[in-house]
Amino acid sequence: MEGGGPEAHSVCMVSDFFYPNMGGVESHVYQLSQCLIERGHKVLVVTHAYGHRKGVRYLTNGLKVYYLPLKVMYNQSTATTLFHSLPLLRYIFVRERVTIVHAHSSFSAMAHDALFHAKTMGLRTVFTDHSLFGFADVSSVLTNKLLTVSLCDTNHIICVSYTSKENTVLRAALDPRIVSVIPNAVDPTDFTPDPSRRDDSTITIVVVSRLVYRKGIDLLSGIIPELCQKYPEIHFIVGGEGPKRIILEEVRERYQLHDRVRLLGGLEHQDVRNVLVQGHIFLNTSLTEAFCMAIVEAASCGLQVVSTRVGGIPEVLPENLIILCEPSVKSLCDGLEKAISQLRSGTLPSPETVHNEVKTFYTWRNVAERTEKVYDRVADEVVLPMKERLDRLMTHCGPVTGCIFAFFAVLNFLLLAFLRWMTPDSIIDVAIDATGPKGAWTKQCLFGKKRRVKEELPNS
Amino acid sequence: MTCAQQPVPGRRWQKVLYERQPFPDNYVDQRFLEELRKNVHARQYRYQAVVFQSGAVVQQLCSVCVFVLTWWYMDAGMLSPQGLFGAALVSSLLGYVLFDAVDGGAGRWASGRTRWADLKSTLVFAAFTYGFSPVLKTLTESISTDTIYAMSALMLLGHLIFFDYGANAAIVSSTLSLNMAIFASVCLASRLPRALHAFVMVTFAMQIFALWPMLQKKLKAQTPRCYVGVTVLFALAALAGLATVSSVGAVLFASLLLAISCLCPYCLIRLQLLKDNIHGPWDEAEIKEDLSRFLM
Repeated sequence: MEGGGPEAHSVCMVSDFFYPNMGGVESHVYQLSQCLIERGHKVLVVTHAYGHRKGVRYLTNGLKVYYLPLKVMYNQSTATTLFHSLPLLRYIFVRERVTIVHAHSSFSAMAHDALFHAKTMGLRTVFTDHSLFGFADVSSVLTNKLLTVSLCDTNHIICVSYTSKENTVLRAALDPRIVSVIPNAVDPTDFTPDPSRRDDSTITIVVVSRLVYRKGIDLLSGIIPELCQKYPEIHFIVGGEGPKRIILEEVRERYQLHDRVRLLGGLEHQDVRNVLVQGHIFLNTSLTEAFCMAIVEAASCGLQVVSTRVGGIPEVLPENLIILCEPSVKSLCDGLEKAISQLRSGTLPSPETVHNEVKTFYTWRNVAERTEKVYDRVADEVVLPMKERLDRLMTHCGPVTGCIFAFFAVLNFLLLAFLRWMTPDSIIDVAIDATGPKGAWTKQCLFGKKRRVKEELPNS
Repeated sequence: MTCAQQPVPGRRWQKVLYERQPFPDNYVDQRFLEELRKNVHARQYRYQAVVFQSGAVVQQLCSVCVFVLTWWYMDAGMLSPQGLFGAALVSSLLGYVLFDAVDGGAGRWASGRTRWADLKSTLVFAAFTYGFSPVLKTLTESISTDTIYAMSALMLLGHLIFFDYGANAAIVSSTLSLNMAIFASVCLASRLPRALHAFVMVTFAMQIFALWPMLQKKLKAQTPRCYVGVTVLFALAALAGLATVSSVGAVLFASLLLAISCLCPYCLIRLQLLKDNIHGPWDEAEIKEDLSRFLM
């Protein structure tokens, strides 16, 4: 990498979670990639095969996605043996001339594997952590140990909120200076208010989340009867699916609220806005949350947000846009009553004003700009040579784990040497760049050919 | 990125994400980790209190020891079933009187159980056990004695593991614990010479594994001093009994009891000092209310 001036990076995003799967990490990877392509970098995404979707695909603007044929083990995460993915990933890293490997999500085994291999191959590594984790039980003790191993020699780490940074620094025993905080973003044009869709003769409270324990659905099952008995004009709309749906149905049955509580079931991402704009108040009952995109989306649609004060949520919205409560039925009911009285007295700002304020907060362009700075910084750093890497592993990860993983690192290195002997880097075909400074796709766009989403297997 | 760690003068860093702040993204403020809390739920134990609580474990170990010893004597023909039945009956009656006397009848009044009901269940239980004792006797004839011994040992161990010592843990299950003990007693009783032996053995198991812990629990709650005395006496009795069978066993058992009541509490208190539990805003919130009332 030549120093000075803006340089184009060749970034490989690795995560088990990508489209067609839906969720926060998936859209983060996609949007960030798009904005980085726009800024002139070469970006490709590596994930595992989803059903029939395997091989190489191109998405909008020539974002190249490798769907690797690896076995999915649990919750869309692949199994890890630390070694089996090296041949495939090495092939991709070499033929795409990747300079930076950017792994996403601590739940993704493939992301950790890719970090491990990239370090063996001497590539720069960046990791984004999207979730919070506790310290109290056995499973978290073990996963935190693995995270320590995985991150101790990673060049830079990105967290989505300050709370998440504190959490990651503690979990992986890191130097806080190599951890940057870059929040998630929301596309404000997707979440615009539309007050005409509201029914102003009632007060509608919207909840959009997966119906699982961690999202505090048990609290919701207490709030619904409390408020419905007190305020006859309140209606609830609940979007999302999950194992806790049954208790909401029970509550609805028990208190005869079929006309006032609507359970919409699973929502597609593009339908979320249409649900949000029907409401006056957005309720989030999460018990733990690193960033919480849902409340930003709701605020962007002009709703008054009522949320629990957990994880990174207090950092996300300014005080005038959110009412923070303790995670208990009573506190959340108090918060909702406060929002209701403000709504009735008309002291709430109009949805347009709220939208205009929120849309300046989080944009993907800003995220990409800040991520680019991290890449620039990482490109100037040196990758630890083998000896220092082994030292770091052994001194940093404890005597037992450190030695075991140092041994694995050596094995991985030997495997890499064997692969290099079998198929030398020089005989691996170099892929034609779709994106980046010499990107075939970008040029096509420049020469005025129509943009299209092409899905085909390349024959390079 | 070069001026990474220098705070910009005149501007305080805020822990918010919605505002662009003139600090680099990897800036570490002094307030970093200020919400970290350590050992929030850690409890400081007093040595004496822990030793007192360990009495429950000692008692249960001794109960198992006494039970096995009784079986041993019966098996060897040194204890007649009539003698054991008489002794057990007398001690049960004593315990029954004591059970009500300790708290002045408050517990009985609260449960609303009559003496007639007690007598009825005793009679029903005794009659059924007596009636079925010939079956118990021949039940395991086709199974080898070694298997029976192994099974009894395993069941008694299970009884000790699942017993309700007063800890609030998921593993505790007094029903399972009692069932395992009774199963062990049935196994052992089937190896005794006659049906009467089997009947007496099973009733004795009921007394020592079901009734005796109930009395102990009440004693512990009402008269702690008395409880300590009873525990020590019981342990000494068990040791003396064991010494008549095997002196090595008695020494080993005595050291086990000492380790549990003196050494283990000491270790617990020492290890407690090393506790390093971290809590912070990233912890998953706990729902403290009882939410089931909304569904009732």
